[in-house]
Amino acid sequence: MTRDADALMVDIEQHRPMAVSGAFSCERGRVLALVGPSGAGKTSMLRILAGLMRPERGRITVGGETWFDGDTSTFLPPQRRHVGLVFQNYALMPHLTAIDNVALSLLHLPRLARIVKARQWLDHVRLTPSQQARRPAALSGGEQQRVAVARALAREPKLLLLDEPFSAVDQMNRQGLYQLLADLRRELAIPIVLVTHDMNEASLLADWLVVMDAGQVLQQGPPAAIHRAPRNARVADLLGIQNRFHGVWDGPARDAGFGLLRWTDASVGAATVRTISVRDKRRIDAGQQVTWVINGDGITLLNQPAQRDDEFAAVVTEARHLGEVTLATVGLIGYSGVRLHVTLTGAQRALVAVDASVTVRLDLSLAHVMPLRNR
Amino acid sequence: MDWQALLLSVKLASATLLCLLPPGLWLGRWLSRSEFAGKAWVEALVVLPLVLPPTVLGYYLLVSLGGASPLGRWAAESLDVRLTFNFTGLLLASIIFNVPFIVQPVQRAFEAIPRNLAEAAAVSGLSSWQTFWRVEMPLAWPGVLSAMVLTFVHTLGEFGVVLMIGGSIPGETKTIAISIYDRVQAFDLASADRMALLLLTLSLGAVAASFFASSRLMVKR
Repeated sequence: MTRDADALMVDIEQHRPMAVSGAFSCERGRVLALVGPSGAGKTSMLRILAGLMRPERGRITVGGETWFDGDTSTFLPPQRRHVGLVFQNYALMPHLTAIDNVALSLLHLPRLARIVKARQWLDHVRLTPSQQARRPAALSGGEQQRVAVARALAREPKLLLLDEPFSAVDQMNRQGLYQLLADLRRELAIPIVLVTHDMNEASLLADWLVVMDAGQVLQQGPPAAIHRAPRNARVADLLGIQNRFHGVWDGPARDAGFGLLRWTDASVGAATVRTISVRDKRRIDAGQQVTWVINGDGITLLNQPAQRDDEFAAVVTEARHLGEVTLATVGLIGYSGVRLHVTLTGAQRALVAVDASVTVRLDLSLAHVMPLRNR
Repeated sequence: MDWQALLLSVKLASATLLCLLPPGLWLGRWLSRSEFAGKAWVEALVVLPLVLPPTVLGYYLLVSLGGASPLGRWAAESLDVRLTFNFTGLLLASIIFNVPFIVQPVQRAFEAIPRNLAEAAAVSGLSSWQTFWRVEMPLAWPGVLSAMVLTFVHTLGEFGVVLMIGGSIPGETKTIAISIYDRVQAFDLASADRMALLLLTLSLGAVAASFFASSRLMVKR
């Protein structure tokens, strides 16, 4: 990402009360998602950005303004940060109506102006006047969240933070909230940082993923790039990439820029399925054990015998027909430990019945090889 | 009916409440959000007047505040104030034996407020003072109210400590509870009856009213 002065720039480190460190940046109008399992340090990172926690070292600047600098002992308290934070359980004031909740972040205005402004923000997140006059307990989860968003926006924040914003909202309201977020990023032109443990949601909503685990940033980049090329097995794990296989790196191939990957079946004494030629990024030494993944887009099922080097004979072991898609699992014939997971749509769905013979064609340009261990 | 004693009791209860409320709020709120080594000891100290026999508490107060004690001597010499057998001493004792009645309900009330509300307030730009008045106090108010009523009523009826530290000086330390005891001693059961009934009605009424108000004020969460 470019390093313009309006962006969010973070590079911090702390050891107590829990270890959190990481460096990332986010442009205006972009959504950055901090993703990872619970306990990964995502929420701590968010609290550090909000000023609710003070890291030991590092620097945070937002819109060219320094919010934290460990070297000069600069630390702006949350009150002076102009940060909008939507808490996971919204943290609305139970004794105040929706309007008064929003008006609470406008205390610098005279009373009447506060109410007018609060109404505007609540209209903006599409809450009806009767909903606006209710206390949080009389609002649904989705409505409460809209109030929390309105309260955060009323601060006219330079940075918007969302902590697991969709976790407590049912699927139907989620769609509406996705839309709300899409509208916000278009209108606001400030960096938006989202914390979620749901990789799919993160990939759907964010322009940039920061994958965290055990308080550290494992990998960051655009969602598609991370899904295509996870940096290591742990990232692939966290992303929930199902099409992960074992192999041994055999070194450079004849064609420049390619290498030989010996695909093995871990279940039968590391029998070699086939040696295939894939892109070589020169990160791996020959002879090393590797994990490799292939994006779902790179797997096609065919109703004809396997002929080419990138085609394999297989049998359907499982087929689950959901609404408009079918989730199928196929096993390579002769290699019981190798299973591929495919999502099928349209005419291809007719191919899969359990025990049907199929041919799997892999687009090996989408294969990505990574070392078994190492960060 | 000993109106003078009743008036003195009301004066003592009001003064106690007035003196004890600010530090009680501060201590209760602080205990609700602090974790430190020795917190259990501080909490035990707060509750101590509740479990100690009033005569024991009164005895120690008498010994530590009396003219022979360093504190009593210092007060007499530098401030020209006696701390026993007068209203000042009574007030001091009353403040001490009411500490748990204020601090405990206040602590519970503040503990019940979700921690992230204060954080949400800070992020919304509220200073800690604004957070206290606009967020914490409205939510803790039912608990604070019942603490105030308990303290008031408890002071009206306190006997043992009052007798130990104040004696029974009309208009100075003779509260309504002492007066009832005096009347019974003098076989004037009719007077004792009236005063006891008044105290009973007053106490029951105040506690019931505070419970009623608390349930009305309690915000649904």
